[in-house]
Amino acid sequence: MSSTPTTTAAPPAGPSKAALAEQRTVDRERRARRRAAAQRYGIRIASLVVVLLLWWLVTAAGWIKPLYLPSPGAVWDAFVRANSIHPVSEGSSRLVAGEQGYYLWQHLLASLQRMAIGVGCAILLAPLLGFLMATIKPIGLIVEPYLNFLRALPPLGYIGILIVWFGIGDLSKVWLLFLAAFPPITMATINGVRSVRADRINAVKSLGGNFLDVWRYVILPSTAPDILNGIRIAIGFAWTTVVAAELNAGNPGIGYLAYISGTELQTPLTIACIIVIGIAAILLDLLVKGIENLVVPWRGKA
Amino acid sequence: MSAAAAETSQHDRRVVIEDVTHQYATKGQRVTALEDINLTIEPGEFVCLAGPSGCGKTTLLQLIAGFLRPSDGRITLGGQEVRGPSAERGVVFQQPNLYPWMTVRKNVELGPKLRRVAKAEREAQAKTYLDMVGLGDFLDRRPYELSGGMQQRAQIARVLTNDPDIILMDEPFGALDALTRERLQAELLTIWRNTGKTIFFITHSVEEAIFLGSRVLVMSARPGHVVYDKPVDFLSTMDADMPVGQMRSLPAFVRMRDEVSNEIHASGG
Repeated sequence: MSSTPTTTAAPPAGPSKAALAEQRTVDRERRARRRAAAQRYGIRIASLVVVLLLWWLVTAAGWIKPLYLPSPGAVWDAFVRANSIHPVSEGSSRLVAGEQGYYLWQHLLASLQRMAIGVGCAILLAPLLGFLMATIKPIGLIVEPYLNFLRALPPLGYIGILIVWFGIGDLSKVWLLFLAAFPPITMATINGVRSVRADRINAVKSLGGNFLDVWRYVILPSTAPDILNGIRIAIGFAWTTVVAAELNAGNPGIGYLAYISGTELQTPLTIACIIVIGIAAILLDLLVKGIENLVVPWRGKA
Repeated sequence: MSAAAAETSQHDRRVVIEDVTHQYATKGQRVTALEDINLTIEPGEFVCLAGPSGCGKTTLLQLIAGFLRPSDGRITLGGQEVRGPSAERGVVFQQPNLYPWMTVRKNVELGPKLRRVAKAEREAQAKTYLDMVGLGDFLDRRPYELSGGMQQRAQIARVLTNDPDIILMDEPFGALDALTRERLQAELLTIWRNTGKTIFFITHSVEEAIFLGSRVLVMSARPGHVVYDKPVDFLSTMDADMPVGQMRSLPAFVRMRDEVSNEIHASGG
């Protein structure tokens, strides 16, 4: 040793007052961000109330024919009717359940089920392909153009061929959703793996980590936020696709109900379906966001 | 572990850099970053390498760490050639490099965990070193909840817990504000004195190099050569409690600072 070990007391290693004050500032900033978020929600709720009031005003004043824009009350009635047993037409004694043979919630559930199977398979398989493409160069080189090609296609453009292959029933729709959800998740995985910081990999190797440790402790957790983001995009995209795909033999299905009710001039029901489709989309997105906050709380912070 | 004990039990754990040249290609041209570097780092030394930016300091550190392989020559630790990163050569990175998916405690435990050290034992080790760097109260925080200075403390604890033969530090305090930097410099010096670890420390600050190092090296700009190599011997005779500001005005300190600065300017910095 070229330096004598200290005999006197070393400077205290504990966090100094300044360090603790710094830490308090960090905590204070987090609280301020939370308050700002609460404020944003308040503004959004207020704007929703205003929109509903305007809608009611326009229809109650009779400025627009109910066929083109029914009142909020009529839409609500259509929504309730579609979820209950009711006479087939006014004054008739024949009772039917819901619309088109199913309750509205059954239509919604049928669409969500198609999503769960098609997108679920994509969530299981797409990250695997993404990892293979990002780590084994030849695979990435060969597959990437096809993936980009598939991604560029509007899924409804190839529903025809899927119907020829898999029939008019649910299977072709599930395949459609799978193919719609697959590219965004794969691409997100590839981007995630490629953007893992070299320092992060080097750090675990310098701590003694082997190939598997690099994957387990660095690449998988590094990539998780990207994969979840890809899943979020895929779900949003697949939802718009399922609604449209149900135009062909989609009963039960919320997209089918929205379409068929329009052609039958039941505009209140159409609008009720549109609102349900939109709210379902928002809830699905919130669900994935909630999973993100739970599984990858560090997302966007480091 | 006392410094003396470390010296006797680890006298063969020296790092030897022999005729190392490193070239890399950029825009079709070959650039020689380092040329004929010969250097031996003895166990227990605190070697500070200063030099202008772009002189290849970080390249040399990455070669020792095993992140890069030299184009020519060889680097050995305890007679074994360096062929890649390994737990015997710990690295403290310039940017905070903790894993945000783990708490501070889990980050610091990672080294022993990779070696399958029992949970209770590795938790105790991690706690010891987190206390040493003053993070005993922040065990269950996530790294992004800590300030930059505290993240660097945690990185130091992570490397210490892994008990490497040499700790490689790449301008670890470069991104910190002046006050935090001075505090961490003093703490690092204390840690080095108390643990007897071998440290290889890169900095562009001449003062930092002299304040921390038991030996100061200066590297010239591309291609990098070691143009200055002297022990810092006046500090060992000083009172360890001397305030940093006072120390920086000592004649011996000022003399060495001027010498090193001149060397850096003469070498094209």
